[in-house]
Amino acid sequence: MAAAAFERRVLQSAAEHHYLRVRLELPDGGARPNAAQFKQLVVTALRELHGEVGAALPVDVLTYEEKTLSAILRVISSGLVKLWSALTLLGFYQNRRCAFRVLQTSPFLLALSGNSRELVLD
Amino acid sequence: MLPAQLGRAPRHLLVCERGHARHPRSRHAAHVRDHAYSCRVSFLIPECGLLPEVLKSTIADFGEYYLVRNLPIHELVAHEFIDAFVKKGSCYALAYKTKIDQDNTAALLPNGKLILSVDKDTYEELGLQGRPSRYSGKKVMRYIITVDLTDAGFHPESKKHNRVLWALKEKKPLEFDFLLAWYNTGAEGSTLMSYFSKNQIQALKPKITFSTLRDLQCPVLQSNDLQGKPEESCSTEELFEWLGAVLNQVSLDNKSSSFLSTYCCPEPNTVVEKAFLCTITGFIIPEKIIQLLEQLCCYFGEPKLAHWLTLTVHGFADSPVSWRESEHGFHKGGENLYNFVIFRNLDYWLHMAVGTHDDCPP
Repeated sequence: MAAAAFERRVLQSAAEHHYLRVRLELPDGGARPNAAQFKQLVVTALRELHGEVGAALPVDVLTYEEKTLSAILRVISSGLVKLWSALTLLGFYQNRRCAFRVLQTSPFLLALSGNSRELVLD
Repeated sequence: MLPAQLGRAPRHLLVCERGHARHPRSRHAAHVRDHAYSCRVSFLIPECGLLPEVLKSTIADFGEYYLVRNLPIHELVAHEFIDAFVKKGSCYALAYKTKIDQDNTAALLPNGKLILSVDKDTYEELGLQGRPSRYSGKKVMRYIITVDLTDAGFHPESKKHNRVLWALKEKKPLEFDFLLAWYNTGAEGSTLMSYFSKNQIQALKPKITFSTLRDLQCPVLQSNDLQGKPEESCSTEELFEWLGAVLNQVSLDNKSSSFLSTYCCPEPNTVVEKAFLCTITGFIIPEKIIQLLEQLCCYFGEPKLAHWLTLTVHGFADSPVSWRESEHGFHKGGENLYNFVIFRNLDYWLHMAVGTHDDCPP
């Protein structure tokens, strides 16, 4: 049995992307956005705050659940602040009040699958 | 136009290691042992429809943990407790549902160190010796107090012991809901359940969920190549993101031109007909994770279709330590997690990831 050579790599602040778990809050009743409309809303938020250049920031909607209006977004690391600020300042969806809640953010997608602050252990 | 420093992401570290699980000097088990508090363990086995019996029984015996409500912290410093539990095995305790970036919090490590992470006001009221938190900035607002309960100088008559007891009992009584677990080999003794019977104590079992994923795209990996080669194998970072996608139920078969998401499974990949995913949630101690890791290595004792399998462990975001006694803070996410990829030939890859307020993992 040939023992494999040990190797260690330390990647410091090297994550290409950041991930955000968000929830959209809307008043009860009325239309809920589907996945494409949700993505459009995110792009609109970016355009409102950062203009056309901001709207061109590549953002991926990795998951979206229409029932709970929650989603996981992926953005290149340098665009995290832009995306976060745009989501925070967005106030309307189709002329109705709305708000984005950022529930969790991480440079590791894997970290979003086990948030100890939300797990119920009792 | 945003200032340039806002374009930089907060500091984070991903450590990737490669080694062999049966190498005499391999430290993979030590890395597990040094990471005291875990809230979720998941493993994914490709090409596996039914779990072997040994693994089933390992999971079924994943230990109990306890939740004690409103436990005054001086009870953990009492000598009856230290003699009955701390000195007779590995005793784990962690404050439950406290947030390390705003509340006081406490943890007891299996080596007998009690760690209190408290705000400035509490620190001054307590009057115990501590040190400023490393991540508290120029104006220190948080302090860390470490008390070694197994120290020879910490016997019941010592000044030190009396001072700590007085501070925690009379000067500034602190109480938390505690998650507790105790691991000892053989020696019978009283149990946590009977010791804390006067308090509100609940015995809890980890929650276990199974699922079978159909037609899963899996990246092709070469155990001796962490960085991967185009057309040949995927890199360790690609695998790490892919695994996050699988555990978060992200769809992998996007077109790169899709409007919603451009994420797709890294290339090259193969489609496996079914993969087995098991998730265990609770207050999980390292001893049990080491047992599971060992069983997963034994999985490849018989010929299997799978080329590799993964074991992911999530730490508590609000624990005051991550690995060993290195201080841990929340900042934006408090992530501290690790992941093993075990290959058929028992080579392994280990990822250890931490966020901004953390030391480099060991």
